[in-house]
Amino acid sequence: MTSTTVPGRATRRNASHDRRRVSSHGWKVRWSYIYLLPFMILVALFTIYPIIASIGYSFIKWDGLTAPDGFVGLQNFVQIATDHFFWLSVAHSLWYAAFVVPIQLFIALILALILNRPKFKFTSIYRSLFFLPAVMSPAILAVVFRLLISALGVDWLGDPDVVMWVIIVIGIWQTLGYNLVYFLAGLQTIPYELYEAAEVDGAGWLGRLRHITLPGLKNISVVILLMAILGSLNVFDLVMVLTGGGPYFASSVTNTYIYQLAFGNFYSGAGASSNVEQNVGLASAGSVFYGIMLLGLTLIQFVALARIRKKTAEQNQGAIG
Amino acid sequence: MTASTLSAISTAADQDQLGAAAGAGGRRSRKWVRHLPVHVVMAALGLVWVYPLLWALTSSFKTKMDMFGDGPSVLIRSMPQFQNYLDAWTQANFGRYFFNSVVITVLTVVFTVVFTAMAGYALARTHFPGRKVIMVVVAITMFLPRGYTLIPVFDLVYQLYLLNTIWAVVVVQVAGGMIFSTFLFMGYFMSANKELEEAARVDGAGFNRTFLYVMLPTARPMIATVGLFSFISSWNDFIIPLVFTLGRPDLRTIPVGVAALTGGSAGTDWPVLCAASVMALLPIVIVFVVAQRHIIDAFAGAVKG
Repeated sequence: MTSTTVPGRATRRNASHDRRRVSSHGWKVRWSYIYLLPFMILVALFTIYPIIASIGYSFIKWDGLTAPDGFVGLQNFVQIATDHFFWLSVAHSLWYAAFVVPIQLFIALILALILNRPKFKFTSIYRSLFFLPAVMSPAILAVVFRLLISALGVDWLGDPDVVMWVIIVIGIWQTLGYNLVYFLAGLQTIPYELYEAAEVDGAGWLGRLRHITLPGLKNISVVILLMAILGSLNVFDLVMVLTGGGPYFASSVTNTYIYQLAFGNFYSGAGASSNVEQNVGLASAGSVFYGIMLLGLTLIQFVALARIRKKTAEQNQGAIG
Repeated sequence: MTASTLSAISTAADQDQLGAAAGAGGRRSRKWVRHLPVHVVMAALGLVWVYPLLWALTSSFKTKMDMFGDGPSVLIRSMPQFQNYLDAWTQANFGRYFFNSVVITVLTVVFTVVFTAMAGYALARTHFPGRKVIMVVVAITMFLPRGYTLIPVFDLVYQLYLLNTIWAVVVVQVAGGMIFSTFLFMGYFMSANKELEEAARVDGAGFNRTFLYVMLPTARPMIATVGLFSFISSWNDFIIPLVFTLGRPDLRTIPVGVAALTGGSAGTDWPVLCAASVMALLPIVIVFVVAQRHIIDAFAGAVKG
């Protein structure tokens, strides 16, 4: 099929226009399947199959090293549901999210409002300073913090009473940049005619914030909140390298606990959570359990988002009509 | 989430878009002075934010004695110790980790871009049966926690004889970022110039030619976005290279290798570790400085879409 125009070809094409269309559609479909092949294979093998297999694994007893010991029914789920250390880890994850998310979103919103102000100079420098840790490897940043904390001459990571707070502060520091950028993106979507109109109506700074900026951020805020919550409930690298969950489970989060159940203590930080016995079935039950929790949370937030979108659409309709 | 909506994000903040609305009128020149207290606060906070990185940088040039001597000072008392970098590169095996990281990241980025551009185009341009089903299934899986699938994937990789190879890391990383990137490309191709494509078809170009020579070159901004996302996540990744090279310390990537160094005995040489951390973070800093606006726009666009 060359692209040069040959006299007479055009008429031939017109004559068989309909037939060509049909066959070219067939071609397209066939090539589409080929184009989709790598995607389909990889998604099926590494995303869809593991989701199903995880559930299967959660019903067997297996230490991950020798041959599986066979089907044990719901035993793994019962065991995980009564495992003190699993719940402790889940509690730490929730604790982490409960502090990181609101504090981080609050700071990010304030910073975004400042950086979005007209005529405010050096915006891109400030934005880069706050965003830089967000694009860096959490594992390497955790190494830096371990060294920094040791150099301060304190044993924060070895103290069960303070270790979670240190991790929370580092967590806020590391991921704040994302939310700053997301909020800035949201602020850019607010039409500035609205501010002009408010100005004419004599609205002050606070009035504009209350009646234009915050309502304008509503939609994107739900997305930001969703991502921040899911992200913080999935914290892994930071905790793994900082403490490995230790000292004695004091900073163990769900992901580090499940990791240690599944893969053992091969890599652990200084104060690792000490000898979690490897049990792949139990780890699978734990991840299925936690996965369902997170999925439920996601669905709730989706419903909330859909409702807010609908409400906003109705309001806009009302304003126009 | 088209490129046009993305490009507006970061630029508008610097522009005087809201200037008129703020009612500054003729007093614009004094705005900077009025902002001064805010600048002081922002600069202080900004310094706090980069302090850990600056600390790592200065510490990497210190001697072991200095590091303990003057605590978290930013100053370097003795001569800068470039030897730390040399030691990290050779003795701490950083050179090996760097090589592994580069190979894995390059392969991951290339395969991600090629496969997701193809899949995105196919999904955007054809209406074969099952298209909707694929998209719904895939969208749901996107919100499951990453760790959820790690155990069966480990077993799968083992059974495919890929465990403890570089390919295990690459294939799992490519698969991991695939769905999101495919959606980005699909979004782009759905809103892309259809007339151009029509013209190519009239000229007799088939599906492949149209994709390769007509549509793909127009998708350059999206290729850059997907490439950057894939580069950042692959270079920074910890859990996938950790799990799939458990039995092969010589295949560790930088984050795994450097993190493992800290787990060692008390005799760990801190300045050397700082040097290793600085070298680990440097490629990201360089890419960030070069493509700053594009990176920020890409992240901002992902949430706006």
